[in-house]
Formats: sequence, C-alpha cells, structure tokens
Amino acid sequence: MTEEVISNGFTHNSIEGSNPPPLKKKRNLPGNPDPEAEVIALSPKTLMATNRFLCEICGKGFQRDQNLQLHRRGHNLPWKLKQRTSKEVRKRVYVCPEKTCVHHHPSRALGDLTGIKKHYCRKHGEKKWKCEKCSKRYAVQSDWKAHSKTCGTREYRCDCGTIFSRRDSFVTHRAFCDALAEETARVTAASNMHNSLATGNNINYHFIGAPLGPNMAQHFSSLFKPLPNNNNNNENSDPMRRDYQLSLWNMGVGQEQEQIGININNFREIHHINPIHHTSPSAAAAAAAATTVYDTTTLIPSRSNVPPVSYNNNNHVNWDQLVGTKISSVNNAEQLSTVTSPNISVPSLFSTQHQLPPSSTATMSATALLQKAAQIGATTTTPTTTDPSIFLGNFGMMNNCNDKNNNQLQEGDNNKFCGFYVSTGATNNSISTSHGSDVDQSSSVNDFSATIHPIQMYPPSKRRHIQIEDNVKGVGVGVGGGGQTRDFLGVGVQSICHPPSINGWI
Amino acid sequence: MEKSLFFTKPTNYSYFLEKKNVQYHHFHGHHHIHLINMQNPNQQPHHENSSSRSQSPEYGEPVSDAKWAPRLLRECATAIYNKDSRKIHHLLWMLNELASPYGDCNQKLAFYFLQALFCKATDTGLRCYKTLTSASEKSKSFDSSRKLILKFQEVSPWTTFGHVASNGALLEALDGENKLHIIDISDTFCTQWPTLLEALATRNDETPHLKLTVVVTESILVKSVMKEVAQRMGKFARLMGVPFEFNVISELNHLKELTKESLNIQEEEALAVNCIGALRKVEIEERGAVIRMLQSLNPKVVTIVEHEADFSSTRNDFVKSFEECLRFYTLYFEMLDESFPTTSNERLVIERESSKCIVKVLACDNEISDQGDSERRERGNQWSERLRECFTPSPLNDDAVDDVKALLKRYKAGWSLVQQQVDQESPGIYLTWREEQVVWASSWKPQEKSMEGAT
Repeated sequence: MTEEVISNGFTHNSIEGSNPPPLKKKRNLPGNPDPEAEVIALSPKTLMATNRFLCEICGKGFQRDQNLQLHRRGHNLPWKLKQRTSKEVRKRVYVCPEKTCVHHHPSRALGDLTGIKKHYCRKHGEKKWKCEKCSKRYAVQSDWKAHSKTCGTREYRCDCGTIFSRRDSFVTHRAFCDALAEETARVTAASNMHNSLATGNNINYHFIGAPLGPNMAQHFSSLFKPLPNNNNNNENSDPMRRDYQLSLWNMGVGQEQEQIGININNFREIHHINPIHHTSPSAAAAAAAATTVYDTTTLIPSRSNVPPVSYNNNNHVNWDQLVGTKISSVNNAEQLSTVTSPNISVPSLFSTQHQLPPSSTATMSATALLQKAAQIGATTTTPTTTDPSIFLGNFGMMNNCNDKNNNQLQEGDNNKFCGFYVSTGATNNSISTSHGSDVDQSSSVNDFSATIHPIQMYPPSKRRHIQIEDNVKGVGVGVGGGGQTRDFLGVGVQSICHPPSINGWI
Repeated sequence: MEKSLFFTKPTNYSYFLEKKNVQYHHFHGHHHIHLINMQNPNQQPHHENSSSRSQSPEYGEPVSDAKWAPRLLRECATAIYNKDSRKIHHLLWMLNELASPYGDCNQKLAFYFLQALFCKATDTGLRCYKTLTSASEKSKSFDSSRKLILKFQEVSPWTTFGHVASNGALLEALDGENKLHIIDISDTFCTQWPTLLEALATRNDETPHLKLTVVVTESILVKSVMKEVAQRMGKFARLMGVPFEFNVISELNHLKELTKESLNIQEEEALAVNCIGALRKVEIEERGAVIRMLQSLNPKVVTIVEHEADFSSTRNDFVKSFEECLRFYTLYFEMLDESFPTTSNERLVIERESSKCIVKVLACDNEISDQGDSERRERGNQWSERLRECFTPSPLNDDAVDDVKALLKRYKAGWSLVQQQVDQESPGIYLTWREEQVVWASSWKPQEKSMEGAT
C-alpha cells in the first residue's frame, strides 16, 4: 500500500483534541478543501481496500487499526490504542486518483477518508451490489443497504390521485394520464420559453385551444399570442412557422407534404407549439428536431404584455397562419426554413367545445360530453332521436339493426339496444335470405361495447336503460328479455334459461 | 352466471329442429346437402337422448368433467374435419348450450371456439371476422384502449415482459448515441416508451434526442387512437426533459408496404427497430420479404417480441392447428382469469379480441386479405430461423435480464423467465406462465457482411 503524502507547503494551525472538541469543527464544502490542509493521494487499491487491518489470530479484517486493537483485546493479546496525538495535526484532504475526475485536482479534494473511498467506489468502481427488487446497482454496500430498505416501500402518487407501488407502472400511467396535461402547463408556464432555433427567429408561437383546469381565467389572456418578438402579425411572412409542429399532423410523413385534413374535433388537448422546452443541445438542428410533435396544453404565461384575446370559435387567425405550414418530421434547420408550403388543410376546428378535457368546472361538462361524443364518433345529436344508427354508433353497435321487432325494452329508447337484441321476429326472413347477414347481425350482438364511457356520458335517464342492458348483455343470455335474443350463431338460440326460443340454429 | 343444463333440452330441441328444417332450403352450396343429412338421423336419436346424456356414450358426461370444454371442442373439430354432420351438429348444439362468455374458463373457451368452429363448419369465417372487427372498432376509443392496456399491464406481465426486455436491448445497443431513431411496430399503443424515456433522461451522460416513428397498419381506429397517444408522448417527453420527436406512419395496410424512404431515416441517427407482435400480422409468404426490408434499413438493433405459439406450420392440417390454437388460448384465458379480478370488464374485452384471432386462424384459411392481419403466430425457433437469414442474435445483457426478473417479481406468482443461449435454436428469453412458454423476446443485430463492405 503506497501512500503519497504531498506536502503543499502550507502549515496548518488548527488544534484538535480527541475528545469532543470545544469548538465544532468547521466543515468545508465537499470538494472545496481548506487551502491549508495536507493533500493526500491514495492509490485506487488503497481506496478500494477494506479491512486492511487483520487479526493475526482469527484473520478477521478491520477497516481501522483502532478496531483491530479492540478486537485483539478479546484474544488476550497485547493491544495498544493509539491516542490522538496532541501535537498539531494537519488536516488531511484526499484527492481522487482518477485523472478524469473533478476531484483529482487538489483544489477539489475531499476532506474525509471515508468520503473519498466511497466516492471512488461509487463513481469509478464496479457496481457489485444489486437491489433485488428493482435491479438497481450500487458500488458501495452502504448505499445498497440504504436503498434496499426503501425500495418498494415508496409510493408514487400521480397528479390524478392514483397511487402506485411500482415505479414502472407509475411512469407509464403518468405518461398517458389526463392529469399530465396540467402538469406540463405548469411546468412550461414556469419555465422560460424561448425559441432557440438557429435562425434566431424567436417565434414563440403558442397556440392554445383551451385552458385546463381552474386556471382558466388567466389562461385566456395568453391564449392566442400573436407572433411575438418581431411583432409581426403578417401571416405568411414568417418562414419559421415550423411550429407546425403542430405536428399533430405529423403523421409520419417524412418528406411528403401530405394533405392532412384531420378533424381536430377529436383533439381534446390544446396544441402548443413551442419547439424547445427541454435540455436540448444547443445545436439548432437538434433543437428543432427536439420539438415535441404533439404538443399540448401549455400556457404561455411569461409574457405579460399579451393583449387579452377573447377566446371564441371564430378565432382562427392563428390557425390560419399555421395552416400553411408543412408538418413533417423536421429535424434539420435547413428543412425548417423550407417548410412553408401550405398544404395542410387544418380545418379550423379549434372550436372551444371540443377542446376542453373532461375536467373540473361545471361549465365544461357539457362540452366535455360533446367532446366525448365526438370522440366516440357519434354525431352530437341528442339521444332522443329515434335514429338507431346514432346510438348504434354510440354504443358501438352495428348499424344493421332490425329493431323493429325488438320488444325487449320498450321504454322509447329501445332503439339503442337493437344492436344487442336483434329480434328474432324478423329472424325467419332474415335467416332465409342469407346466412351471412345473420352472422353480421348476431355478431353485432357480440359487441358488448362494455366500455364504461358511453355510460358515463349520458344523463341518468339513459343510464337506466343502459343498466338494464348491461344485465342482459346480448349473446346467449336470455335474461330479462323475452325469447328474442340472438346469439352469435346468427340464430336465436336462447340460453338454456329460456328454452323455447331456439330458433333455427344453422 | 348460472346456466341450467341439458335437462331442458328436450323442449328446445324439437322446436329447434323444426326451425332448422325450415332454413335448410335456403342454404347454398354444399352446406345444403351437408346439413340436410342431419335432419333425419337426428330426429330420432335425439328425442331419445333428450332425457339423459347417458344414451350417447360417445359424448360422455361433459358436465361432470372439469375440462369438458377442450374435450368437446376437440371432438367437434375432429368431426368437422371428418365432415361427420351428425356429430358436428350435436356437438355444436351442446357447446352452445354450455358456452358463455361470462362463465368460467371452460365456458369462455367453449364460447369463443364454438364461434370459430361454427364458422368453419359453415364457411362463414371471413364474414364473421369482419363483423367482429368492425364491432370492436366501434366500441373503442383512446380512453378505452388506454384503460384496457394499462390495466392489463398492471395485472399481468404478458406485455410488459416484452417491453422491458426490448428496452434493455435498445438501451444497450444505443448506448452512447446522441440521436436515436426507433421504429416502433407494435400493438401496445406506445406503453413501452415512457419507461424508456425515463431511462434516457436519467442516463449519466447527456440525454440523447429520440425520434420515435410508429408504424400502424391496423384499423382506422388504431390510427385515430395514435393521435392522442402522440400528444401524450410528446408531453411526457417534455416533462422528462428528453428531446423528442414523434411520427406516425399510418397509411399502410400492410407491413410489407413499408419503405425505407417513408421512414425518413437520417444519416446521423442510430436506428433501432422494435417489433412487438408485428411479424405475426404479416402473411406467411411475405415474412421473408419483410425481414429483408428491415435489414435494408440497416438498424443497429432489432427487437422482436412474439407469442409463443405455432399457427403457421400446421395451417394445412385443421385438427393440428385447432389443437395448437386451443392449447395457446387455454393458457391465455386461464392466465387472464387468474390475473384479472373476477368482474373485470377489461378482461372481457381482451377475450373478445382473442376471439377475432381464433376465428381468423381457424375459419379463414383460404382467405388472403390485404389487411395485414394474419395472426398466424410462429414460435421463437421458427422466427429465429427466418431472422437468421439477415440478422444474428444478440443476447440480452445481464442488466436487462435482471430487470426482467425484477419485473416478474412485481406480479402475482406463476411467472418466470427462461433464457436461451445464442447458439441454440431460439435465442432470446421466454416468459413462462405455469412453466409454459408463452411469450418470446429477442434482440438481433445485422449480420456482418463479409463480402461487401459494411453499408
């Protein structure tokens, strides 16, 4: 074991006793040692070595000589505990032997022997200790022990309120959670958003569809920011409108300028077009590439001079400016500048109603409903229409429903359930026509559309129907109905509960 | 759900038969003859049989048999293969009586396989499949899909196994790179990526830029769901502080249509291809071409995850492919049954999704569709044989394997991991449930080109 003691020529003046010193030792910041301290550079072997002091009797190893001496007492061996020398002791600081390490230089030496040992192990050593539960690795045993105590016991709480015991499921949930929208809103609000694109054109184009949550009021004011810095509201003058990274429509069309007429009604989220918002490398290209394509919900709070913009359906202005832009996977500053050809027809669907996520305020519930309705693909007609197809859409049923004979739920809205109950009254005729159509219809029964969603959407009166329907659930379950159910076989085979209605089965 | 059993059969049955007779006249083709034969012979014996099952000894006592469904289904499949109309008829009827999508495993399997067998017997597989597909599409949305897959991942490592294994392989292969481009062809709605993003964000060195190109060939539904997914991914990446770009390629109906150009691969990017449940969707004859296409992209690594089942080599033998299908889906349904709580809606939906596959595999043999929805799974060793043409296996590193093991520990008991050596037939790792191999995950690197220079 080699030890090099490097005297750096300074003298050390502090006096310390072995018993609790009268003065609390002044602690330097780690890595910022006392300039008067003695700098010691230990070799890697020394640092990694544990238990250097061995008992000659039993071979037990100890990290410190003091401990060994105490142990030797047990063997009735002569032992000697070294007293702390009363003469002045120079404070020692240690440098890391690893040349590339920041602590290699004496000016950043660490003051504690144990500290330098642990540092070396952690940073430059092999990670021998591994947590069983999460397979995280540690070089220092004490780190590993400390981790093991808490691993798996920690609970992760998502903004939406759900609690997870597993980190991976927490992370995955979080990424898809609706509550994430608000989080990023806050995060981006707090951060300084500037456009670090190489061209230096600071376009901070934030386009917000609708605010989220309780902060609606203040969001409104920053809703439609005009083209910022250069005060240039000229729609087409800005070549950097690559913030089409509105790339909602970045449907993987690399090069092609694709006409993407996407029904934005389906987007509940706000589309935020702010290219950079992360720790990206300074290169413009990287920065540009780094833009999140599907950006939503961000509130641009940073500007206080944004004139309040009334948020209404007619405010398509900003959209139009964007519309002309190409949405592509640009990851190149050069490409960015060429992106001006307007061939994305983005319908001005940023109607508020469809933007609001299904969150809090009462005023949003109607819109949330509508938006969900849009999502499900149904038209936003009121449920009272007798057009079965609408409900079929809502309930995910097939459209071919011969519900005329449906005598299951006569509550006036029984049309809704025709997908489930295909009357066998019409059976004979339909069966005779083509076997296939039976299958079609019957298979529609298969679509239980057991999703909770539609149920949640509808006002309670409808719910009642749904509840009943749920109980019955289509195929082969002859509960509560008459014998009119038809199963997937395309034939009205009742479940055994209701024997008499097995209608032609093949 | 309780169902009373055979003893009510008699009354049904005569009515049933009568109805049936009426319809026979309207059928076309060979079915007509096929089925009419069933009329006469059936009427007599079945009336006698009506009172008790014991008079038809060849069918045994299904009720008391714990595993009646596989047995009956197997008999029915054999009968179909042998074109034994009487038996087919009888068995289909019996199964129909007993089957239910809401019952226990036996009943569920009976229900879904019955549907497929029926389609097979009546040659209506394709139509049924189309109907099932469109029905399932209509009921789905981003929210329901999200809820479904997240719940599934919470209760079972069936999908997360492949994710963790693939992410491990990806991280290793892309270590040190600054610009990553991952081509994702999978059926798990990007639930693989949040944990990868987190891993990238917490890397020791500088966080790389990730470009994710998702290739979607499925229905319109999935394509629209991807829009929402894209938004979420983008937001999440921002939250993680990972420079991120997300693209979706959705104009394809079939993976074979994918071209290098459409992927917009840049020179300086480190490319990886991630296929989860993707290869089985390709028609058997096209698989070689697709693999070659992947090779032409020159990725650093290709991760493949597939279900461990063989619906491919036996496709010309109905009974064998039926057996294999039954074996796999029995495992699957039992796994679902054990993993989910009893009254789970999500499980129901997943089972229904499986029924589409079952119908497709068993009853749509000769239909060649352009939709890229083959469902003919192959086992790890079969895929490996194909992949070896263009790639060499790259074993997962110890850390990745440990990650998978740690993952499995987080779930209910019964799950385990089997590792294969590289030189064996099927490199990679297998997820096992109750000692049966169910999912295969592997990682591949392009072959060293000996003659030509590396591209």
